[in-house]
This record gives sequence, C-alpha cells and structure tokens, in this order.
Amino acid sequence: MDSRNRESLASRVLGLSNADQTEVMVWSGNDALTRFTHNMVHQNVAAEDTSVRVRAVIGKRTGVATTNVLDDEALRDTVLRAIEMAKLAPEDPGLPRLPAGGSFKAPEGAYVRQTVEATPRTRAEMCDAIFKTAEERGYWCAGFVTTSTGGATIVNSSGARASFDSTDSGVNVKMNAADSTGFAEAYDNDVSNLDAHAVGVTSARKAQESADPQGVDPGEWTVILEPAAFGELFTYLTDHFSAQSFDEGSSFLSDGLGKTYLGENVTISDDYAHPLNPGMPFDFEGQPTQRLALVENGVAKDIVTDSYWANKLQRSNTGHALPAPNAYGPQASHVVVSPGSKPAAQLIAETKRGLLITRFWYIRTVDQKKAIVTGMTRDGTFLIEDGEVTRGVRNMRFNQSIIGALRRCEFGNALHRTGGYSYSLIVPAAKIDGFTFSSGTEF
Amino acid sequence: MSFDSLAARALDTATARGADYADIRFEDVRSERIEARNGIVATLADTTSRGYGIRALVDGAWGFAASSDLTGAGLDRAAARAVAIARAGAAIARNRAGAPPPRAYTDVFATPVLRDPREIPLGDRVKLLLDAEKALHVSPQISVGRAWMDLWSTHKAFYSSIGSRIEQKLRQTGSGIEAMAVGDGDVQTRTFPGDIGLYKAGGWEIIEQARLGENAPRIAEEAVALLSAPQCPSGTFDIILGGSQVSLQIHESCGHPAELDRVMGWEANFSGVSFLEIAQLGKLKYGSDIVNILIDNTLPEGLATVGYDDEGSKSMTSDIIRNGVLVGYEMSNDTARAIGRESNACVRAQNWEYVPMIRMCNLNLLPGNTPFENLFDDVKDGVYMESNRSWSIDDHRLNFQFGCEIGWEVKNGKRGRMLKNPTYAGMTPKFWNSCDAIGDENSWVAWGTPNCGKGEPMQTGRTAQCASPARFRKVRVGVGYDG
Repeated sequence: MDSRNRESLASRVLGLSNADQTEVMVWSGNDALTRFTHNMVHQNVAAEDTSVRVRAVIGKRTGVATTNVLDDEALRDTVLRAIEMAKLAPEDPGLPRLPAGGSFKAPEGAYVRQTVEATPRTRAEMCDAIFKTAEERGYWCAGFVTTSTGGATIVNSSGARASFDSTDSGVNVKMNAADSTGFAEAYDNDVSNLDAHAVGVTSARKAQESADPQGVDPGEWTVILEPAAFGELFTYLTDHFSAQSFDEGSSFLSDGLGKTYLGENVTISDDYAHPLNPGMPFDFEGQPTQRLALVENGVAKDIVTDSYWANKLQRSNTGHALPAPNAYGPQASHVVVSPGSKPAAQLIAETKRGLLITRFWYIRTVDQKKAIVTGMTRDGTFLIEDGEVTRGVRNMRFNQSIIGALRRCEFGNALHRTGGYSYSLIVPAAKIDGFTFSSGTEF
Repeated sequence: MSFDSLAARALDTATARGADYADIRFEDVRSERIEARNGIVATLADTTSRGYGIRALVDGAWGFAASSDLTGAGLDRAAARAVAIARAGAAIARNRAGAPPPRAYTDVFATPVLRDPREIPLGDRVKLLLDAEKALHVSPQISVGRAWMDLWSTHKAFYSSIGSRIEQKLRQTGSGIEAMAVGDGDVQTRTFPGDIGLYKAGGWEIIEQARLGENAPRIAEEAVALLSAPQCPSGTFDIILGGSQVSLQIHESCGHPAELDRVMGWEANFSGVSFLEIAQLGKLKYGSDIVNILIDNTLPEGLATVGYDDEGSKSMTSDIIRNGVLVGYEMSNDTARAIGRESNACVRAQNWEYVPMIRMCNLNLLPGNTPFENLFDDVKDGVYMESNRSWSIDDHRLNFQFGCEIGWEVKNGKRGRMLKNPTYAGMTPKFWNSCDAIGDENSWVAWGTPNCGKGEPMQTGRTAQCASPARFRKVRVGVGYDG
C-alpha cells in the first residue's frame, strides 16, 4: 500500500475514535527472500501485509488494538477494542500527551525503484552467480538473496502526520569447503548496487584460506574483528543507550552522562540518515528522530528517549520510540561507530600475533551491567603472525566485556553496513587487545 | 468463517498456472498481551491477524506466497506469485528436491481448554498481574518488577490439491513474573516460573497453575539476596540443574541438532548445522543409558501440541534418543524422504505469513526414578542451578555455555548457601553422557518455549521440552567469571 492510501486509511481510522487522544499507525510490507543450500534454492518466499494499530488514550489510561482486516466493520471494531481496553486499564500518572510531531526530511536513497521492481527471477539470477562460484571450486554454498519494500504512516490527535517508504536488499553467503567455511554479506537499499558474484567470491576466498584449520590455545588474544563480527558484538550494547535501562540501573552508563566509560578514540552516534543505511526519519510515535552523538571520544553524551521517558526524566524527546506503550523503552536503532584512521589491512600488518575473525555466532549476555557476553567465532577465523594472515584456526568461544574491549581498541578507516535478523549497524573493522577466549572446538 | 470456497479458488489457480502440487493454510490469529511494569500497565494490546500462505511445487522446486488479501483477486494473485517463485527456483535447480506429501487427511482438532481466558473479565486479568507485580517490590533495591500474560488463539484451515481439509482451533496461554534488583554496582534478576514463565496449550487453567502472586515475594527476595551473595566458584563440579534449565539444555543441545533440515545443511548459513550426522543414526552414544528423549506432539498441555502440522501431517510420538543412542530426527516430508523415512509431523510456521519449516515441537526427556530431593545425595562438592539467564552454543551444537539466575552450593548431599552468577560449559555428548540421575515424574513439567528463533526470514516458534531436574557429573563451572 502506498503512502497516499496509508494516509487516507489512517485518517479514516482516526476519525472513528472518540477517545481523548488517539494514535493510528498503518504499516505495509512486501518482502521476498530466496534461500539456498547445496547450490540450489530450497526456500523461496514472499509475503505482503498491511496492518492498522490503534492506541486509544482516555485520561491517563491506554489501550492498543491491531488488525490487518481492513474492512469498515473490522476497523471500527479495532477502534472500539482499543477504547474498551483503555477504559479498563489502570491510570498511569506519568503518561504524557501524544507528541505533536514536527517537520522531518526523508534521507536520500531510502526508497529505490529498482528494488521495488525486483522479481523472483532477479533473485534467482543473483543466486545462480553464487552457485557457479561454488561449483567452480568444488564447494557448496548456503545463504539468501532478499528484497523488500515497506512503508509506515503515523497520525495522531495531537497533529502528528508522518509517512515514510523504504526499500532494502541483501546477499548473505556461507561457502562450505571440505573442512572450512567462509562468510560474506552485503546490504543496500538499492538492489542494483549489490554484487552477488563478488559476495560469493569473497566467501569462497575465506573458505579456501581457512582450509585445514588448526587449534590454538584459548586465553587472551589480540583480535581484528571484521565489520560483521564487530557489529554482532556491538549490538549487545545498543540497549544501554536507552533512557529506560539508563534510569533503571542496568546500563553501563547508569552512573551518569558526562563521564568517560570507553577509550578516547571511541565515538558512537545514532544517525537515521547515514548514507549506508538511510532509514525512517521519525519514530513510532511520529516524532522526528534526532541525529545524536551518544559517546564522543569515550565520554557518554546522550541517551535516546521517547515521549514517555522524555517526560519522566525531563529530557528532550529524541524521537526513538518503539510502538508505544511497550516494555522495552526507546531504542537506538541506527547506530554508527565512527571509523579510525588506518585501513583494516594496516591493523593486521601491525599485529605481531593475533586472530582475524570474520563473524561471530550466538552471542548472549552473561552479565548485563558489566556487558560481559559470550559467543563463538564462525565461518573464517585466521591466525595472524608477524603482520601476515598465515592460516585458518579452529573456532573458539569467548567471554568478554564489550566495555572492556572498547577501552583498548582501534578502528579501521572504512565503514560498512552489517546486519542480522534484529539489527543493522554501521561499523568499521576493530582491533582489540586482550580479547578473552575460554575454550575451543574441533572444527 | 469457512475458507472452503477461497481454498478451492486458490488451489485451482495454482494448478492452472502449472503447479504440480499446492496447499493453502489460512490462519485467523488473535493475541492478547498484558504486561505490568513497576506499577503501571506497560502493555495492554489485542491483535488480530488474518491471512494465508500458499505453497506451490513446480518441477521439484517450492514457491511460497503469503497475503492478507482475502478477495478472489487477491487469492489469484498470491497463487500466481507462489507458482512464479517456484518456477524461478526451478529454472536454476540442479536437482528436484521437493515432492507432494504422501497422503491427505480430512479432520478437525481443537486444543482441550478447561476455561476460556476471555471468560475472565479483562479488569480481573489486569488486576492479577498488577497484584503479582506489586508483590515483587519487597525492597527499594527492586528496580524493576514485571508481570505478564499472553493469550493466543488460532483458527487454522489447511487444504491441499491432493485432498486434505484440516481445521484446527488452537489455544496457548502463558504468564510469568520477573524482579530485577540493583545495588552495589550489580544487577541481579529472578524470573518465575522458569526463566520465561509458564507457557502451555490450554486456557485460564495454565495461568492458575503458574501461581504468580504467591511466589512473587520469594522471587524478589532472592533477587535482592543475590546482590550480596558470593560468586559461584570456578572449577570442575557435579551440578544439579532445575527442571526449566534442563528444558533449555534439551532445547539447545538436542532439539536443534536433531532438526533434520539442519542436519542436511538447510540452515547452514544462519542457525547452523549439526553434529548428529545421518551416518551416526543408530550408533552415536549421545547420552548415558538413562537419557530417553522423544517427540510427543499429542501431549496434553504441550505448547506445540496440534492435531496436524503445517504440511498436513498427523501428530505422533517418535523417538529421538533411546537409552542414550541417537535413533531419530525431527522431520518434514522432504527431509524424511531423503533418508527413507516418513515425516513425524514436526513442521510449523510462525503464522500465515511464513513458510512451514522443521521445529522441535514437544521434545521430552522422559522422567527418571529419582525423587528431586535425592538428586543431592552422593554430591560431595557441587552446585545446584535454577532458571536460565544466558545461553550460547556453537553452530554445530557442540560447545555450549549456559548461565543461570541463581545457584546454591551443595556440600555432602546438602544444599548450602546461595551463589550468584552460576555458569557451566561443556561439549554436548560428553555432558549428556555424564547424566547419572533424572528426577521422577513428580518433578516433570511441560516447560514451554514461546520464542524459539530459526530460519530466514526469522520465525518465532513455540516449542516445549518437558523435563525434570537432573544431575550431571564433573562439569566445568564458573566460565565467564573465572578471569
């Protein structure tokens, strides 16, 4: 559903409500993903949907109802359900008025026609290029090619009016050799910018170069984390920038802003307009999103808020709401870690003995306050000796505080977009001293 | 509503477009979530979602298209899209992997429900949670109290071009509480029941089983006590795991590696592969002789209990580990056929928007013959751990490290002082072979997992791992805190 139809639908639903305050969110999506293994497609899917979410506020009471059935009767029933729930909800004395929104500008490159027009054949041809790379080397590959289109419209009785459309696409490849694997990925709002063949070749090179992996001893190592690895690690820190975790004491920043927590070369921002991943310029309350410096040179500068937490902490609303109300609080969802001054290759060249890590797997928080996490290396782990990548090594488990790592790190000078099913980050490669591994594997 | 005429139209369109086989799964889903947090209702949401997913098979390649457009034109468009997607895959296929299911069923199934949760006035449901959450605030050090409830109902109708017509009305219910204590530069959390709440198939009776209010003060007091409790020691110890932690251990180290799609490399780029290779079937000594793990998708109250899976296969029981030996997998039609077996109905989709895929469903560790209190006997120097806090395992499902919310030292057969931050680590077969006692049926609980992630696009699955507490010998403890 395009923005004009979403706005028309949202206004119509808003008009059905007699609650004291009402917010209506309409979002639509058309997502396709072609997944492959053993050099053939095994899951090939597409889904489209449009949903309407109504937040009704009566006094200080809130109710929410959602539906994807868009006939008049269902929409009227959804509004009534939200109102009925609000009437039965207890009062929340801290509930602010719905935000009035404001002006915003959609970033360049967020919505790309070529991605909208991608077909199953488009994705199949990209897959086929990867299959051929695998077959030429006697490998087998697993991964996906995806294209998607989405749009969100938010209107409320305070006057907020916001619509945004975007596209996205991605290629993800794990290349499998006899006793080694390699991984590469690429994401872009414009599918025509993706070079699936190149992603396949990179993953194949990593599989080839990590062949016959040897075990190394666990313990403290200097590591070079490629962007996919560093991004996956860093995503376990993003919740710490939420006003909710800050106020409730579970964030590493909870001792206060203005203090030095990380190395002086660490600068972290939240920027929805970054050209590597232009995103939604407002939040799920229709409030324009601010581009924020969260950490500058190791010093905590800011946290992200929504209308509820801005009111509670008497801070400005930075426009980082999830669909409200929710139990998670505001979230920094466009995190950018600033680059350093050296190419990643130089970080490797300056390493006497260390490990080059392509990707992590199954990271989980061990200790929330200290931001200690555990996880595994995966799909391309290499030994560095005297500044050279010399061979593949077997995968290992780490236990490491992310805060500690960011006190003794150095960054590459190029930024990359990396992502998983629940995050998208803009990060450089990172060199970290004293990264702690606790055990190994036989593969 | 009846989906019969809509299904006929979609299947006719898919067949006319060239599908060798097609099926369509309609779902009408209603979800209610209530969450109380620090004295307010943080979430009070009622969601309905209606739509369908069509699978089409063309020259051995599958295509799947989902839509919420229930008009005739919408059904035609989605059916044509599924066929076009399948055809695009077939054009680059190196071999024919997919085939129609072996048989069709006509049947109905409904989850047994003692009491419909919606008979309980919404105000009373909210009050139950607010009261339980309030009871968590036993100390100023409780920074966050939470109490939540999920009510899910699904009307599902499956039709296939070989004649299946299966209607199911499914109900699943869950609730839990959590207390987070902050102090002395530390954060400690306790959750009940288990680490995620109690989730089962059924109605209001599942909420009543959880007994949130009467357990809230104890849970909160434990969270506060953990702030000043000694650190769990590092080293090699005998450990006893509470039932919900054994459930998590089964889920991660048996349930996932026994998914045959994973074994065959279908999840290689994301969820990973498996050490339970097909050549090991009937040979691998996965665990000790007392370890028996089976699928039972007919189990009363099992969170994954259904009449038929999302490929239209009938629910059944099926052995995975018998007397410690690997004897089976969780299977779909295509994967089962590849190893000369038939599906054991372990295929689920998150909802109508998603393609069906293999899930562990209800995967149960059969109870042993040791009363819970006797698990502590013969333990000279050990740790008892409860309620998962952290879980990580490698992409072959061998090297794992799990952490629990709370532990107690065990000395000479007796439970002693409380310990904070207990963790343990190991390699899957060695760990399960060290299991020398399993709690009896009195401590056996159908622990549900409502949030299992797998697949691309990522799907959230609802599984269960029924388990009792169990004892394991000579396990590495304290990892992550030993430096």
